[in-house]
Amino acid sequence: MSAVTLQATPRWIDAVLEQVRVTGLSLRRDALVVVAAVLGVGTFLVVGEILTGGPGFDSDETIPTALFSFFYPFLVWRNDKRFGPAFLWTLPVDRRRLALAKVLAGFVWLMVGVAFLATWLLALALLADVSPGRMVTRIPFIATIGAYLLGSAVVLGLRHAVRWTLGTIGFLFLMGLVGDVVNRPNDGEWKYVPGAEAFFSMVLQFMTPWLSVPESAQWAMTTFLWFGAGLAALWAALSRHGERRRH
Amino acid sequence: MNAESFAVATHALSMRYGKQTALDAVDLRVPEGAVYVLIGANGAGKSTAMKVLLNLERPDAGRAEVFGLDTGAHGPEVRAQIGYMTESHEHDYPWMTCGRLIRHVAAHYPAWDQTYAARLMEVFGVRPERKVRTLSKGESRRLQFVLTLAHRPPLLLLDEPTDGLDPVVRNRTLAHLAEHLADTPTTVVIATHHIHEVESLADYVGVLSAGRLVAQMSRDELRRTVRRYRVEVPEGWEAPAELRTPTLRRSRGGREVQWTLTGEERDVTARLAAAGATVREVTPLALEETALAFMAEEETP
Repeated sequence: MSAVTLQATPRWIDAVLEQVRVTGLSLRRDALVVVAAVLGVGTFLVVGEILTGGPGFDSDETIPTALFSFFYPFLVWRNDKRFGPAFLWTLPVDRRRLALAKVLAGFVWLMVGVAFLATWLLALALLADVSPGRMVTRIPFIATIGAYLLGSAVVLGLRHAVRWTLGTIGFLFLMGLVGDVVNRPNDGEWKYVPGAEAFFSMVLQFMTPWLSVPESAQWAMTTFLWFGAGLAALWAALSRHGERRRH
Repeated sequence: MNAESFAVATHALSMRYGKQTALDAVDLRVPEGAVYVLIGANGAGKSTAMKVLLNLERPDAGRAEVFGLDTGAHGPEVRAQIGYMTESHEHDYPWMTCGRLIRHVAAHYPAWDQTYAARLMEVFGVRPERKVRTLSKGESRRLQFVLTLAHRPPLLLLDEPTDGLDPVVRNRTLAHLAEHLADTPTTVVIATHHIHEVESLADYVGVLSAGRLVAQMSRDELRRTVRRYRVEVPEGWEAPAELRTPTLRRSRGGREVQWTLTGEERDVTARLAAAGATVREVTPLALEETALAFMAEEETP
């Protein structure tokens, strides 16, 4: 055996806390831009509603925040080369656990963002004379978490995540165009792809509980399914970063 | 040498990038406490060997051990023992300040010595408030030295450590490295093609050429066994077969031949004399000349 006294590896919780700090710092500037945009747009809308004597500001942020949450992992990971011999992987932490630490760090800041959004929504509700109770049901925590898990899985699981994402969006857009060209846009753009229409109907069905006040059983089932899908995808993506795999 | 005293041992390590052979059955043996200089031209496989030791790359065949730990099975534990300086000057976090980057790395090494880190920052002139993206090549290298040394790792892997340093800073940096080695029991593997810069530190030398380890021995052995022989030979003289194997380089001018040969000087001289050649002069070679001779031999078809 070697006579050298070997150095210890760090505790995982220390790696997570450091990733939380560093991820927060790296997102600081972007966060300021987003906050300024949200505040600006929100104020504009509410003031507009009040001045025009509208029925009151009634915001539903589920879709935009879910979309943002899907793309947010691209921001979290933009400074790290996820594949190949990058600085991050030279650190003495199991690669999968380190990737998970960074996902958790991104999650912490995302929840801070959602909490900020919730506060902002409640403030708007008060300002625009909408029942705060009604607004609370629209705080998109679950949609945000589900989309974040799936986005993280895409970023960590695909070497060319941007290309794949843009390619998929482009493909869906093209399918829409095809639908327009054959003058059957109202039949649903997806019906020209075998099985796609049924798939998207199912997706929309599963999102419905977040778009209105749902039954608790339906809400629980939907949440369970989205979390399950997100976690399964994330687990598969993380397994690409195992210590024993070729990188 | 006892097999258990190796800080680094690789066993028939082979790796390819597509059709390109990066490592071909490499058996590195780096004794604990030694400074091992891994020499080779660009693309010889030096950086790849280091990445395999860190488990940043997985070999196609063979295995590697660091302090007896298999690098594939114990990646995090192995990396905790290593201070790694990559050949690149670029850093993945250019938006950070030097101080923040140092704190970031420190958070991952329980053995991080804060006092020593502060001293290294002073010695290498690293200012904590500077943004990493504003550093020159040399400044970036000096920051890397702080990051690499401050947890006093038992193994240093330095990939072209003097690259980007001006001569004054280079000499100062190597002096600090020697000081670090005197203070801290460390094994060092230095990959370089600037051999003369690290010659004074080297205890062992390995020569990689096109992914193959063509020589591996102590510096003393290298000095003792690799010599240049100037010999006079008769007209039409052809070297006998037993002299061809240890030949690294040969140049001929009329009846005089210059050979770079491996082997004990007395044996080689006796063999030359027995073959009818008269040895006129025997000169030892500098480390760089020796390495070049090994590399030249490999490149000859």
